[in-house]
Amino acid sequence: MEFKDFINKKEFILLDGAMGTMIQKSGVKYDSVPEALNITHPKLIASFHKAYVDAGADVIYSNTFGANAYKLKDSGYSVKQVISAAINNAKNAVKGTDALIALDIGPIGQLLEPAGALSFDEAYEYYKEQIIAGKDADIIVFETMTDLYELKAAVLAAKENCSKPIITTMTFERSGRTFTGASAASAAVTLEGLGADALGVNCSLGPDELEPIVSEISKYTDLPIVIKPNAGLPDPNSNEYNILPDDFAKSVLTLLKYGVKIVGGCCGTTPEYIAKIKETLSGEKYHPQKKSVDTTICSASTAVEINGPRIIGERINPTGKKLFKQALVDKNIDYILTQALNQISGGAEILDVNVGHPEIDEKNMMVSVIKAIQSVCDAPLQIDSTKPEVLEAGLRYYNGKPIVNSVNGEEKSLRAVLPLVKKYGASVVGLTLDENGIPKTAEGRFKIAKRIVERAEAAGIDRKDVYIDCLTLTVSAEQDACRETLSALHRVKTELGCKTCLGVSNISFGLPNRELVNRTFLTMALEEGLDLPIINPNIASMTGAVRAYRVLAGIDKNSNEFISVYNNAAPQTAAADTLADMDIFTAIYNGLKKEGACLTEKLLNENADPMKIVNEMLIPALDKVGDGFEKNKIFLPQLIQSANAAQECFEVIKKHISQTSGSPVSKGKIILATVKGDIHDIGKNIVKVLLDNYGYTVVDLGRDVDPQLIVDTAVEQNIKMIGLSALMTTTLKSMEDTIKMVRERKELQNPDGSSKCVVFVGGAVLTKEYAMKIGADYYCKDAKESVDTAKKVLG
Amino acid sequence: MIELESLDRKEAIRYLGGSGIKLNYRMDALMDECEKEILLKADPKYLYIEKELPCNGLIKGKDIEKHLYGCEKAVLMCATLGTEIDKIIRINQISDMARAVVLDSFASVAAEQLCNRVNEAIVEKYSDYYTTFRFSPGYGDYPIEMQNYFLQTLDAPRKIGLTSNSNYLLVPTKSVTAVIGLSKSPIERKRLGCAGCIARESCQFRRNGEHCGV
Repeated sequence: MEFKDFINKKEFILLDGAMGTMIQKSGVKYDSVPEALNITHPKLIASFHKAYVDAGADVIYSNTFGANAYKLKDSGYSVKQVISAAINNAKNAVKGTDALIALDIGPIGQLLEPAGALSFDEAYEYYKEQIIAGKDADIIVFETMTDLYELKAAVLAAKENCSKPIITTMTFERSGRTFTGASAASAAVTLEGLGADALGVNCSLGPDELEPIVSEISKYTDLPIVIKPNAGLPDPNSNEYNILPDDFAKSVLTLLKYGVKIVGGCCGTTPEYIAKIKETLSGEKYHPQKKSVDTTICSASTAVEINGPRIIGERINPTGKKLFKQALVDKNIDYILTQALNQISGGAEILDVNVGHPEIDEKNMMVSVIKAIQSVCDAPLQIDSTKPEVLEAGLRYYNGKPIVNSVNGEEKSLRAVLPLVKKYGASVVGLTLDENGIPKTAEGRFKIAKRIVERAEAAGIDRKDVYIDCLTLTVSAEQDACRETLSALHRVKTELGCKTCLGVSNISFGLPNRELVNRTFLTMALEEGLDLPIINPNIASMTGAVRAYRVLAGIDKNSNEFISVYNNAAPQTAAADTLADMDIFTAIYNGLKKEGACLTEKLLNENADPMKIVNEMLIPALDKVGDGFEKNKIFLPQLIQSANAAQECFEVIKKHISQTSGSPVSKGKIILATVKGDIHDIGKNIVKVLLDNYGYTVVDLGRDVDPQLIVDTAVEQNIKMIGLSALMTTTLKSMEDTIKMVRERKELQNPDGSSKCVVFVGGAVLTKEYAMKIGADYYCKDAKESVDTAKKVLG
Repeated sequence: MIELESLDRKEAIRYLGGSGIKLNYRMDALMDECEKEILLKADPKYLYIEKELPCNGLIKGKDIEKHLYGCEKAVLMCATLGTEIDKIIRINQISDMARAVVLDSFASVAAEQLCNRVNEAIVEKYSDYYTTFRFSPGYGDYPIEMQNYFLQTLDAPRKIGLTSNSNYLLVPTKSVTAVIGLSKSPIERKRLGCAGCIARESCQFRRNGEHCGV
């Protein structure tokens, strides 16, 4: 019988219980992995399956939980061998029954980026191999997952390599989160979007402890819910589980009200438990649940319900921003991350991400930026590009349910974008324009909105996931346009039942006091039903207008959020009197960022020569701090704070120079990277802060960096100095390999074969002797020495 | 469950190479703030399991053999502060590097304190045994590759979310695996010392005439 028929015909679907517990109880020994038993003891494994089928299981899980290439690497068996044998054993056990076979797949066993080093694509390949090997199974099950990102790779691998139904269950802790911080809400929203057929929880806790988590999941999904709890909690001494079959089955009953349809057991459960559940469920009814929270986007950790105005930060966008464009060209991801973090602290709840710039590979940049932002921000993202291939790349590597910005009424756009939105389970912004441009009237825009919504629904996208943007035009050019926008917005909201979105700042082009115009327009739009204002959240009055609106419209209950934000807000500017008796030197020495920046600005306004400020004030101050550090008089964090204060001064100077269009201040480019395999990069980052502040341009390639990328970047950007760090003895080999590759690359050699690149190295286990042995030019024991070396080499 | 109530600040300063330096008030405030944040964000988890000796696969090299010499049993343990700690250190490396290094240092202190507490619990549980100090993969000639043996034996990825990457580095990074030997007869409680340490040539502590504590 097909799974879909199963779902419809059967009131409940019974899964099996634990395989591990059966193996343990039988006392059978295995060499490396329990999955090897599929080959060495096929009859025994089949007998476990058979016991579950006899107990009433409708679906049995193959003994393939850890049958991936990573875990099998020392077992002597291939993934294909193990999985085919396992499916075969399962087939033998279900012969003559209706029971279906699920290909059971667990986590790979390594953490994915950003916490770990395994890439999304590598994870995908591991899963793909298993799914192809399990072609004879009826269902694909991913269970005991703790990382939503890994699970997304798994689900995509299944969707793209087979057409079997997919069940996903994750393992949560009592906190309601997984080990990697994924929330139950985010898991439900993301997995339903990706097209799982059923989702839920397994392992970790017993049925009683699972109730709050199952309840939370049910708020966010319409899908049938799966539970496969442990037999209670293990006794720490005996490792025995504490709930007996009777109580287990009773606890399952209390969870039915949340839409539980598929039930089985995890660690500690046996055929007895399954038989008891079957008996207890007979006569009970499945209670299908509709989600109660229905317009949600999310990151892995945070679900944001669009149940009132939510601020989308607009600052990650190079349009009209010189420094941002330069950052893109230099692949300066940290610059973009700083923008992200600043917007979050300003009050953004969602971040728009646009990295379109003609001089760069937008697709690769989108992927890098999305991966980087989601490693440090909990806010969901809005993927913004005019190119469908960029949108798709962003969608693929995003961890959660994002917004796509955007589709419009043009046939070409609808055809290209909507299928992507569907496939990756995103929300989408619909711009009310088409082949004929932006209609002048509200009626014209409403018609396009209606068309977009209809087409989205035809593509399988819920209209609640379509956010219509009625487009802000510049009021100084067309004064009546503002009314048309607002009127269209109102109609979309009330007649189409869609959420709405609007870029606000366009309204005021060409007018003085733009902030005032923007804020007033924003307030008007909110009153017409604007849900997602796209604004600069670092302008306090804009964010404030949204927060105040939430109070006045009765959304911010008891003004809780408003009070918590504004009650203790401290003034942010440096007081004038503290500046009066301070100079830049003192500010930097004491690590005072704002004061340093103010003083630099003041000097520049007094027409001081920027290079003089750098050479006669910033650098000497840094040198003094560095000297104190060397003599063990200054503490490392203070050295860094001083460097950061100098950084603020440099930023002011850079801005000043870019405005007066002089050449940027740079003493030369340096690549920094933590070598392949190493994920400890704090030392490298300290070096970076210092080099930055001495006026060097650092091309930071991050951690776990492929030697090829380092060499290619050096060639591409004509870089003469490379700094490598490694923390562990095991990764020193990577350092050696990288240096070797630098030396061998033709483009990095002088005509006489000597190297054009200077390589300096550092890290906890390195010594000068070893550094020389592996071919480095310099060994630097700390960040200060790296700066001294850079001075020596680049001046 | 183990909850950490406070962190050893002197130790955190020592990790930062700041022993003997008088901190100014800004540094003092930074230390306070970071200690609080680590205590708030740490999610201490641990596992241990008892093994009869000789235990298949546990012994690799001379140093571990020496360490467990005369022991009838060994307790394998692991402990982690969880992924959130790595995340806040990562965030601070972008927004405020000075804070990041202090957080990192306190996190190392927290991991060490957590291990001490687990160690105490083990000593208490096996009070009729003499116990050795903790010995970890990477000490002496005990290969770092042994991380995977510990993680598998303890079922650590599934039970507490502790894994290793392909270079045998623990993820989350503020984590430890170790083995403690149990013996019915007295054990000479000897530390490993610098002589047996692979980091002896590059060690910052040693350079300053100090000792890391292992």
